[in-house]
Amino acid sequence: MNWKVVAHLIRVDMKSGRLIRGGRLTRALERKLITYVLYGGALVLGVVVGCLVGFFYNSISIVDPQTKALFDLGLMSLSLSLPTLVLIYSLVFTMMQQIQRSGTKFTIQAPYWLPITWNEHTLASMLANLLGFPLISIAFIGPALIAVSFFTGQVAFAVLTLFAVLASAFMASAITEIFRTAQVRFIGAVTKSSGRAAVWVRFAGSLLFFIAFYIVYFTLTSGIGAIAFVQTIATTQGAVWFVPFFWLGMFLYSFIGGMLWQTLAFLGLSLLLVLSLFYAAVSLNKRFGLYEPPSITVSRGVYAPRVGLLGRLGFSTTEAALIRKDVKAFTRRRELMYVFVIPVLIILFPLLQTVGAMGQESPLTAPILVLPLIFLMPSVILAVYLGSVMIGEEGEAMWRIYSAPISAESVVKSKYFFIILFSILVITATGIVGVAVFHPSPRATIIAFTESFLLMFALSAFSLTIGIKGSDFRELPRPRMIRPEWGLINLIVCFVAALAILAPFIPYVFTVIAWVPTIDPYHATAASAAISIVITFIAYRMALRSARELLAKAEM
Amino acid sequence: MAMGYSSAVVLKHVVKSFGKISAIDNVELEIKPGEIFGLLGPNGSGKSTALKMLLGLVQPDAGLVEVFGVDVKRDPVAVKRQVGYVPESPRLYEFLTGLEYLDFIGDVFGMTAEEKRERINEYLKALELEGREGDMISGYSQGMKQKVALVSALLHKPKLLILDEPLNGLDPKSARIVKDLLHELKAQGVTTLMSTHVLEIAEAICDRIAIMYQGRILALGSIDELRQKASLPGSGLEDIFLKLTGAGDIKAVVEELLK
Repeated sequence: MNWKVVAHLIRVDMKSGRLIRGGRLTRALERKLITYVLYGGALVLGVVVGCLVGFFYNSISIVDPQTKALFDLGLMSLSLSLPTLVLIYSLVFTMMQQIQRSGTKFTIQAPYWLPITWNEHTLASMLANLLGFPLISIAFIGPALIAVSFFTGQVAFAVLTLFAVLASAFMASAITEIFRTAQVRFIGAVTKSSGRAAVWVRFAGSLLFFIAFYIVYFTLTSGIGAIAFVQTIATTQGAVWFVPFFWLGMFLYSFIGGMLWQTLAFLGLSLLLVLSLFYAAVSLNKRFGLYEPPSITVSRGVYAPRVGLLGRLGFSTTEAALIRKDVKAFTRRRELMYVFVIPVLIILFPLLQTVGAMGQESPLTAPILVLPLIFLMPSVILAVYLGSVMIGEEGEAMWRIYSAPISAESVVKSKYFFIILFSILVITATGIVGVAVFHPSPRATIIAFTESFLLMFALSAFSLTIGIKGSDFRELPRPRMIRPEWGLINLIVCFVAALAILAPFIPYVFTVIAWVPTIDPYHATAASAAISIVITFIAYRMALRSARELLAKAEM
Repeated sequence: MAMGYSSAVVLKHVVKSFGKISAIDNVELEIKPGEIFGLLGPNGSGKSTALKMLLGLVQPDAGLVEVFGVDVKRDPVAVKRQVGYVPESPRLYEFLTGLEYLDFIGDVFGMTAEEKRERINEYLKALELEGREGDMISGYSQGMKQKVALVSALLHKPKLLILDEPLNGLDPKSARIVKDLLHELKAQGVTTLMSTHVLEIAEAICDRIAIMYQGRILALGSIDELRQKASLPGSGLEDIFLKLTGAGDIKAVVEELLK
């Protein structure tokens, strides 16, 4: 193992991560000082917090022995569950890092041409994955535990806990590495076996993966879920000692119980597990690290052009071609499939929370704010997001639009139609869910739907304008689509526009809390529609002007 | 021949800088309809920038760029309608299949369904893309992507072909087909403007050649005219090129590297 090579590879990985997040590789950011401050800061903070807790412990020890005993028990439970807890959250964060960097892994090929062993590749990748939140959190937890232990007299236990936590994080990273390599191979095999359906299998598979991943992520990171999780681990660890992922916790448990042989056995098993996972990751990388997935076949046979529905709807051949191309882009490009995940998650979370009390027999009554959340948010968020990336998603293939005889009017019309089309599909889906689950009144349903449409039309036109102005066609290490500052401008502008459109409802909100006399919400809807039409018209004109400027400039 | 125009391409006193770097320095150029014109020059000499200007993909800081009498700046869409373009490293829509991509191009250029069907099938067969046309482009080799880019430039029967390193990555058979095709298109009056580093190709197929260096045209003319200008009678294009671009002392460089 050449440690210098490993260190270099970690730096490459870190820089690619920074590029992905849109950070600039300026000299200031290159300085190691910032990294040291970050990790050093976490360490110092850990010591300070640990000392404060220690002082508190000392003070209660004298006056309240009962609270002291409770404190001891709590601290021990936390220490015992820490390895498993760190393993799980490190797993989630390292997986997130991997998802972000998956594109870069394939674009930065240079290390693979060089005389670097797979052991070095794998170790560097695993350590690079741990940088960031997992390691910073350990830099905080470790010193805090040790500082407290000086007051509680459990220094050896705290040091061993730190060791177990570090081993857990390393284990998590190894599992992520195994998962990353295996899923590349798995996806390749699925693609190969599913033939012409491969595009749709990949689409459905990606959506399911993202949705499952985010559900686990939000459950674990939300406060109540996390506390419940710690309690469960601390109490059930002993019963499931045979599960390898609990061995580090069992090692601590045995140590604190004074069982020497058991301590050594679980320590040995844990080290064996860490090594096995590392070598499994190396072995998989060796076999599939540079695996090229098979190409996807979509159609076969002699080409026969079809007359599309879009043509009959009044779109020119150019506009119809652009729309069809974008539909394919959003269902085939992984980085764009997120668009479908956002509304699903938005529907899912309030549903999971509200329908969490499934035992209720009567249909759930909709709180006044849940209806707009189900009806309005997904389609409007989708419209705002789509508008901002519709031009930037062209990426470096934008030369094709620039060099083709396509007018600004055609570009804006086709892109705008695409946004509206997708948003309508989402509003239909969310609407059905909303009505089925919450049984809203017909009036609430009509108003929620109407307002969704009004917001969708206006905000997507604004987003499209801003998406054109702030378009970023760079694709490496991942498609940027919109420059971050323009993304922020988009959110602000859309927020203001949404407020303007919803302004007629402000008096109605006050009537709910009984401050002002009741007004007819249909009147508010009509006023809102008038405002929305004006805003949409202005925004669409602005989009046209921006597109003309973009195509006239057309610099590549 | 493309009738009614005395020039297919005109560049008058064109200037373009990128920051402090002068990419095009007061270039004057006229290409006749039906001509195959080659742009040669070392890396960074301004060839690709000059080609992009003809489509409005790079705006000149000063000067005039006309294609078939149309000012590119004034009516870029009218110009693009008559041009087929292959960039140096064509980024295609990798999520489309080869067929879908060509269908898209056909629609963008307003081809009828019948024209599309006939011409796409012809080109796929000629360039041996049959059997893979239904695969997503992301799975294509570099050469196959280049073939798709070439077909997409030829599909709508353009009057002017702008080809930046068109034979990059092509296998010998496909390269030969493209060369013969350019000759045939010339006979039909199609103008071709191409840049290449492969001097044998330029020598074999170009009617006239311009050698660019540091944004300027050092020499322009037929091979014979270039030989005279370089005072190298009987020499090949490589010797002329190396002499004109001041890269003649190759032997000394190689000897230095081998030390």
